Amino acid sequence: MSQLALKSLSKSYGAFKVFDGLNLDAGSGEIVVIFGGSGTGKTILLRLIAGVEEPTAGTIELDGHDVSDIAPEHRNVGMAFQNFALFPHMSAAENIATPLKAQGKSADAVRAGIDRVAKLLKIDHVLGHAPRELSNGQKQRTALARALAAEPRILLLDDPLRNVDAKLRFEMRLELPRLLRQSGATVLYVTQDYKEAMALADRIAVLADGKFVQVATPEDIYLKPATLGVARLFGDPAINTAKTVIEMKNGMASAKVGGRDIPLPASLAAAAGRGITFGVRPEAVNILSPGSDGLTASVVAVTPLNERTVLLLQSPDGWEFLASLPASSTSIPEPETDVVVDFDPSGTHFFDSQSDERLHG
Amino acid sequence: MTAAAHTHQPVKQSRFMRRALPYILSLPALLMCIGILIPFFTAVYYSLLRYRMNLPAMKGFIWFDNYLNFFTDPKFWNTVYISLVYAALTVGLELALGLGIALLLQRPSRFNNVVSILLLLPLMTAPALAALMWKLMTHPDFGILSYLLTLVGITDFKWASDPKTALLTVLLVDMWVYTPFIMILLLAGLRSLPKAPFEAAALDGVPRSFVFFRITLPMLMPYIITATLFRLLDSIQQFDIIYAMTQGGPGDKLLVFQVQAYLDFFQSTNVGRSAALMIILWAITYALSNVFIKQWLKLRERAHGAA
Amino acid sequence: MDHTSTFEKALRGVLITLVLIFFLFPILWIFLMSFQTNETILRIPPSLVFTPIFDNYWALVTGELRTAAGSLQLDFMKNLWNSVLLSVCSVALSLLFGVPAAYAFARFKFRLGEDIAFTLLSFRFAPPLLVLLPLSLYFKSLGLTNTYVGLIWVYQLICLPLILWIVRGYFEDISPDIEYAYRISGNSWWKTFLKISLPLARPGIAAAGLLAFIFAWNNFVFALILASADKQPVTVGALAFVTASGIQYGQIAAAIILSITPTLLLALYAQRYLVEGLSMGAVKG
Repeated sequence: MSQLALKSLSKSYGAFKVFDGLNLDAGSGEIVVIFGGSGTGKTILLRLIAGVEEPTAGTIELDGHDVSDIAPEHRNVGMAFQNFALFPHMSAAENIATPLKAQGKSADAVRAGIDRVAKLLKIDHVLGHAPRELSNGQKQRTALARALAAEPRILLLDDPLRNVDAKLRFEMRLELPRLLRQSGATVLYVTQDYKEAMALADRIAVLADGKFVQVATPEDIYLKPATLGVARLFGDPAINTAKTVIEMKNGMASAKVGGRDIPLPASLAAAAGRGITFGVRPEAVNILSPGSDGLTASVVAVTPLNERTVLLLQSPDGWEFLASLPASSTSIPEPETDVVVDFDPSGTHFFDSQSDERLHG
Repeated sequence: MTAAAHTHQPVKQSRFMRRALPYILSLPALLMCIGILIPFFTAVYYSLLRYRMNLPAMKGFIWFDNYLNFFTDPKFWNTVYISLVYAALTVGLELALGLGIALLLQRPSRFNNVVSILLLLPLMTAPALAALMWKLMTHPDFGILSYLLTLVGITDFKWASDPKTALLTVLLVDMWVYTPFIMILLLAGLRSLPKAPFEAAALDGVPRSFVFFRITLPMLMPYIITATLFRLLDSIQQFDIIYAMTQGGPGDKLLVFQVQAYLDFFQSTNVGRSAALMIILWAITYALSNVFIKQWLKLRERAHGAA
Repeated sequence: MDHTSTFEKALRGVLITLVLIFFLFPILWIFLMSFQTNETILRIPPSLVFTPIFDNYWALVTGELRTAAGSLQLDFMKNLWNSVLLSVCSVALSLLFGVPAAYAFARFKFRLGEDIAFTLLSFRFAPPLLVLLPLSLYFKSLGLTNTYVGLIWVYQLICLPLILWIVRGYFEDISPDIEYAYRISGNSWWKTFLKISLPLARPGIAAAGLLAFIFAWNNFVFALILASADKQPVTVGALAFVTASGIQYGQIAAAIILSITPTLLLALYAQRYLVEGLSMGAVKG
């Protein structure tokens, strides 16, 4: 039985529809990342699950029970907010104590609970401070500690690393999975950062245009994106695209990309004349040795980017695309030279140009 | 997991309670509203009657005659005239004085802050008591102000008892009480203005009068308008100061709206006339305050939207 | 930036001094007068040096005024007590009614709320006599004339809109997330209101309460119309004082000083709240 289930969940404000008919099942202890751009309603979704706002339609089930009539204070959910939402007139310790006190625990149990999570999040040395005396990183840890203190079965984290500096964000990205697993809670984690999503998630639910466009493991999201949009959102640099048309030659389907014929996998249902969008991830662009059989392109620019080097290439017919090579590659081409490339099938996708859905067999 | 116990005995909270909460919270305020509206509509009703409490037999509906009679009633026009003059003079003078003082104190220094706090004191005085204080100060026998006037050769200055100087006297009291209000508002405004334009002007060597008229004043406009509207609305219905000072006299020199209505009701027991007079005043203030409230709400929304 | 000449500084000093004199002198003068005998007061030219006497205050406290014509019983202390009672109770009641309503208006967007807020706000600027004159007739028939209950209820007309006006803004400034966090932690709506919303809005509630008290205390026309001698506050009482014949001027001055001291002290003690309330009420936004 799933720990958390959303069934046809919809929310509108007057005429403005935020999302419509969302369905999701999260198993016990699973970390599900809700991924989407700003304004897609991720925070509102968390508020609905927490119970501080009411859905327009649909139900939310926690542990198999419909919680529509259950007030937020009885849903046994822990939540951490993007802006921390610490109680400014209480110390960090008192903030963390809140859920424990609400459960009517004895003073000793409260103290023990605070110490436990404070140690876990490494803020035991600032427990006596007021929120305004804490750094952003400490505030976020305190907010997380407060969410975890009463060992809730459901944890809602609203982009907790958003307002934290880059270095700390990186550190926490490594710590969080361990922390979350240790708590054993079912986690709904909201973020706009795809790397964060890929690092933390058991499954990712991509929210766009009021719907879950795809709900799958990070692997599947990356290797089998449901739509062009999903493919674009995950990957840096973003996937290269080119609009083209399917042609049939000798019973084999292919499409012209950059002036060269790219064969379509045989399993794809192909019809000549169908408009498609061709996509290839920069890391799937292979630089071949000169003279090999492939697409000839000129190197327009070379940009080092940490552990990768990104090349901007241009095909003879003017199509510009990026290739991403490991910085440690032995031979990085120079600008204004020509290279021959081909595309690794694992990073190549075809999308219907009308619906943007990925074509797959 | 210790938390498990909770989810197995969920407490149901009816959705009705959730929806009803805001109404329950504002119930007393709603009762207050009703408590104001009942006498209000009663006043409207009375204004349509011929109703004198000392002539109960004559009570009857005369529709808008009370209002129409005003048009040809020199007493009414006197009331309008005096009220408008009073409002215009008080607001105009207080605005000028308040702005001047605010400009004097605009730099946030310890001294300036102490001065501005001291200047608050007249505002905290009950206007009726302020009138009393000034009544004592202008007493012909021992009033310090009367004495000071004799020093410059003006004897026999009758202050509030003299029809020619009665308005001046109450004007002084009004200015004494209410100028600090404008000062506080404009001071808050001045202190909240962004520094950048002024620094730029200083760098460019712009003359100070230019800075004042073209930079300071326009940026201060919202505060000035707020202060003006606030004071205008209060001034046109001034009662306390005038009643405490002269009860409306001497003659008909200070018979502003509310004082006149009071006398109509309690001296002439003319309920119909006093009600009609108040409805007219209400209409004026309602129109003015509507403009103001809408403006204020819009300003607040903008600030909250930007926040 | 600070190239004001010495002339300017001197001019500013002179102007500020003149302003201070204008606004503070009357209070000072009446204060001095309250310690003077009638003889001293009537002396011309007026003297700044005199031996102060406390007889005037004593007379007010005991309620017995010794005049040239004999002894007069005047209960000014009752007026003072009435002021205290009316102001404190009115403010308490308006806070009790107004703070939750302000919260409702801040947090929930509901049509009735907007209508109530607008009505109460617009009546803040309406002429009091419009409502008071019919009300005096209602009071008579309801037997509420000259009762504390009636007066306190009517004083809500002064206090309640003020509370709503000011406190609403403070509640709106509290991030809703903080309240959500407390509720989700396991606390009921009521507990959240008590432990989070109220404490965080405390400065605003204090400022509003303070202003409401001062306005209630300084009110004149409400009590003039709806109260008789034994329930009148100091504002009306002081006036009646003056018109009674044979009163010593020093005693009038003492009565005035007693009447204005509470509000002046409050203003000095809590001036930051005051300034915030006044400017917040007028210009927040």
